[in-house]
Amino acid sequence: MGKSARDSARERVRAEREREEKRARRNRRIVVSSVVLAAVVLVGLFSLVQYNRNFSAKFTGTLAPITVQPDGTVVMAKPGVQKPVLDIYEDFQCPACKTLEDASGETVKELAAQGKVKVVYHPITIFQQDPLKSNSVRAASALRCVPGGTPWMNLHDRLFAEQPTEGKNGFELADLVAWGKEAGAAGADYESCVKNQTHAPAHIKFSEDTVAGSKIEGTPTVRLNGKELGNEAFVPGDLKETIMNAAK
Amino acid sequence: MVGSPEKTQVEPRTVVQVLPWVTTACRLGLAGVLIWAGAAKIGAPALSVQAVEAYELLPEKAAEIVGYVLPVSEIVLGVLLVVGLLTRITAVASGLLMALFVAGIASAWARGLNIDCGCFGGGGQLAPGESPEYLQEILRDLGYIALAAWIVWRAPGRLALDTVLGLAAKRDTGGEEDVNDDDEERH
Repeated sequence: MGKSARDSARERVRAEREREEKRARRNRRIVVSSVVLAAVVLVGLFSLVQYNRNFSAKFTGTLAPITVQPDGTVVMAKPGVQKPVLDIYEDFQCPACKTLEDASGETVKELAAQGKVKVVYHPITIFQQDPLKSNSVRAASALRCVPGGTPWMNLHDRLFAEQPTEGKNGFELADLVAWGKEAGAAGADYESCVKNQTHAPAHIKFSEDTVAGSKIEGTPTVRLNGKELGNEAFVPGDLKETIMNAAK
Repeated sequence: MVGSPEKTQVEPRTVVQVLPWVTTACRLGLAGVLIWAGAAKIGAPALSVQAVEAYELLPEKAAEIVGYVLPVSEIVLGVLLVVGLLTRITAVASGLLMALFVAGIASAWARGLNIDCGCFGGGGQLAPGESPEYLQEILRDLGYIALAAWIVWRAPGRLALDTVLGLAAKRDTGGEEDVNDDDEERH
């Protein structure tokens, strides 16, 4: 074999090898982009699942009757519904309580309206530092000026919607008066009740008694028939399932 | 004096054999953290969103999306690291994610926020009297970035799908023939 023949054979091998490598590179690219795509699609799909788990439709029906009890708790239940009992301990200044209400509030209303559960709200002030404490006391005392029914729930929801940023002053008396009126609370009596903070001492006493008596670690605390609920309280579908199982 | 001559005599072959296993260990370590963190957050999307909102860095809608996407992403990245698929890309993404966490925590610290990082569930405002642990959280995340960096450098390690699928560049598999291959090509 001459030198040139050897050279051209070598060339052919080299060219073949290059083609081979090119093909391998292309295959690698295809596999890599497929896996990346699959991973992104997977993340997207499961994120949608997360969104759905967090979603609950706004409750538009008629609320179960709501009455403020002499002891300061607030019962929302259809007449005759005694169990299961869902206790909700919450503070209008607490961000996690707002999260709870945003996530599961509508589901709780719906189940109470269907007579599946007796809901007992415990609107307490857990904070001991100002302005957190004074904000919370003003809000809860104002809500006590509403004896119950839809206006109570409207103002309850409004208070969470207007929750002051932690550490800032908020829930001013003038605002509380205005929000109460928009919520359907009746005129002059409500206004003077809020402005005089008539129920503040009772509310503070109620909060202290609740924290001590019910052994609350923090807010929000959600208990079903006395048993504390964990993450499921924050997932509307899970909460519904838990309550329905207890209602059987 | 004692010992130092021995150290220099470590067989290159031994190093070559051990290093890929170190990468595998780093992969499993980082994957464990990611999966644990994701699993702790994925249970209650509302709380995950709240933990993101507590940083006060993103508009409401964006924080909500991050709250949904983040735990899922952590778990997917973790699983990819366990099986060693797209190891280098995954390690880069994990490292960047950790760097974002460090930035977020540092920013919360700088602005004097009083929050829990929410890294492993929980999160949000701390109760009065509780103090944040920003320094530990940052140092911990820097440790994870170091793991990610090692993996990027030495991907994919042993027991990796990348090797099975031929996705690993040859020099990364740590065989001797590859070196010879290179030599032959260059000759």
